[in-house]
Amino acid sequence: MAKAIKIKKNVEEGLFDFLKSLLEKEKIKGVFTLKKMDDNGAVSYSLITSPDEFKNAVPLYPFMPVNAGKALSSFTLLGKTEEPVAAVLRPCELRAFVELIKRAQGDVENILIISLSCGGVLSLNLMGEQDQEKAVSKYWESVKKAEVAPDTRETCQFCENFLPINADITVATVGQKDLDKEFTLYFNTPKGEEFSKEASGSSVSEDIETKEIKDFKKKREELKEKYFKETEPEESGLKSLINIFSPCLGCHGCSHVCPICYCTLCEFDSKTHDYPTSSLSSDLRVKGGLKVPSGNLLFHLGRMTHMAVSCISCGMCSDVCPVNIPVATVFSKVGASLQKEFDYFPGKDIEEPAPQGTYKEDEFTKIGEQ
Amino acid sequence: MNNNQKETKTNPKKGKILPAEKGIREEVLNIFKKALAENVFDAVLIPAKVPDTDAYSWILLQDESLFDIADPLPPVMTVQGGRALSSFSKAGELDLKIAALMRPCEIRAAVELFKLHQIDLDHVALISMDCPGAVPLTDYMNDPKKMGESYKKISEKWEISESLRPACQNCHRFSLMDGTASDLHIGAVGENNKITLISNSSTGNDILEKMGFETKDSLKDWESKKDKLVKEKTKKREAFLKEWKEKTKKADGFFNELNKCINCHNCMNACPICYCQQCYFDSQMITFKPETYLQKTKEKGALRFPLNTMLFHIGRMSHMVLSCVACGACEDACPVSIPVGRLFSMVGDHTQKEFDYVPGLNREDPLPLQDFKEDEFCEVETPNECEEKATEEAK
Repeated sequence: MAKAIKIKKNVEEGLFDFLKSLLEKEKIKGVFTLKKMDDNGAVSYSLITSPDEFKNAVPLYPFMPVNAGKALSSFTLLGKTEEPVAAVLRPCELRAFVELIKRAQGDVENILIISLSCGGVLSLNLMGEQDQEKAVSKYWESVKKAEVAPDTRETCQFCENFLPINADITVATVGQKDLDKEFTLYFNTPKGEEFSKEASGSSVSEDIETKEIKDFKKKREELKEKYFKETEPEESGLKSLINIFSPCLGCHGCSHVCPICYCTLCEFDSKTHDYPTSSLSSDLRVKGGLKVPSGNLLFHLGRMTHMAVSCISCGMCSDVCPVNIPVATVFSKVGASLQKEFDYFPGKDIEEPAPQGTYKEDEFTKIGEQ
Repeated sequence: MNNNQKETKTNPKKGKILPAEKGIREEVLNIFKKALAENVFDAVLIPAKVPDTDAYSWILLQDESLFDIADPLPPVMTVQGGRALSSFSKAGELDLKIAALMRPCEIRAAVELFKLHQIDLDHVALISMDCPGAVPLTDYMNDPKKMGESYKKISEKWEISESLRPACQNCHRFSLMDGTASDLHIGAVGENNKITLISNSSTGNDILEKMGFETKDSLKDWESKKDKLVKEKTKKREAFLKEWKEKTKKADGFFNELNKCINCHNCMNACPICYCQQCYFDSQMITFKPETYLQKTKEKGALRFPLNTMLFHIGRMSHMVLSCVACGACEDACPVSIPVGRLFSMVGDHTQKEFDYVPGLNREDPLPLQDFKEDEFCEVETPNECEEKATEEAK
């Protein structure tokens, strides 16, 4: 069982103090975490090196302005950090980072990964809005009771992978009734344990997977089934696909914020997919009319085949869609079935190669020659 | 329809008034049906409602039956029309005569894209229509039925409603104006039972002639209604500019508006002027080693990730704001409700005035940054000489 320390402080304050002391004592050289930008409620991920600047850090603030896995990848794209840095990220963001590392887009060495049992994040359209603080306090009430918090992302509501994998340290939040007064840090790895003496509290022997957590998981699994069912089209095929994606503007925001979509230039943004003007006459003759710009549906299908097997269901794509397409739920759903086929859990194991990168002779023989 | 003919702008005094008992939308569609049937055009680019959904889109149609789904005045601006037109005409020369019915700001974007070599306009007749504005995309998608109905009322009454997109509330270029680049304009302001066809170029003359429309009707009625609304909206726009210039007088005020940005670049991808295949800010030109990031962080205490969230907006602004047509597509696409359209439109207003440039009007007007004038901005470049010259002139 992982070493656990109970700290007699409010969880947000306590984690803040813990990180600040690591920074002050120079156990780490920087903290990668959410930071308040201003009084208008905006938060963003920041790398913070000065204890003074750290005052604006809000590590557990329930928003995901960018997927931190993607942000950490931009930090470590050209190699590992030489100086130790702590990074606070949610379980799905950590899974995204792991998927990116597999694709040579990041490096975890010298990064102390701190994650949490996660109650989800609020929809981004609440950020900077009047109701923000109200929603945040409601959020924490739900987290304490291990309930699905209102105004959280749809993918958060049905996320059953809310316990982090690969975290050096885990902050227990879900189902912890007394989060206002006390909270527990779990030191899961030898790397994490090195920092356990910096946490001033009492050792406890508790498993993070409490009954509340197990019940909550079940609750969310039920919701997943419900949401997946709701996105199930009445009939499968082209017509349903067209219906789902018909409002798409082709802004490709979903792909820009997707942590798995790491290509610098998406194939669908490249000249390869410029509509060939010379085809216009014949296309119009055959079809009578063309939706323009064309190729929106192909973009989604293409993106899906490229990344759905690694979709970690963070929900960024749905949150940025200006026309409310339930991109994340659709991709999660397709992802879930693909992942099952490949017996693959995205973001679980850094050593396990992504399915498209591995050839197994005995895989899918039913579809193949024999 | 060739380029040379287009240079002769007519100064329309007369037009063709058509009754529209069944409503303006219906009558506009009838005109296009007739034009297509009479081979005035080979295809029509027009907004349409995607069957069985609430979504709108652009359709380039040749088959007359597709007019059933067309809607000349949809409640939303989906893809900016200039962008839609460019999507199929940038990779070659069109071999069809196309009529494109677009909102005036979309026409302006199309002209800017033409100047940027992203559109083949030689084979396109641009047809503009008085525009009552559009409602925000997200509002519409949240409640299509309610917003659709409310838009219908707004568009019938030509009301400057708060339900409209901010860009549309503050738009004073919603109709035909001096220099508008459309070939044909459909006047509809203030009317629910008639429309006025106004030719605005030799191509426009040809179209009306081929369709057998004689332009003998007086434009006075339409003009007076239009002028009244233009006046009202110009006032509104001036108030908006004043308010926002005050709000963003200091750099902090400006950046505060942008600090919610999550770096999705939706604004850029929705912007008709941002035509680059790959934006510099999406490239790997600005990637550093972790040590460099840490060094930068230590200098400032903290460093925001992803990097250059603010620089992106400033960079994009400096690249495109002279051509900003204030269509508001950026603001419509922003998932965190940054008033990005208003910010850009405000800065555009200022910089465009400096260059004495209105984007999207005459297509012969060169882009300011591609046009070197020796005496331009002499007060910045050679202040002493400039002063001397000014004193001499004063004498």
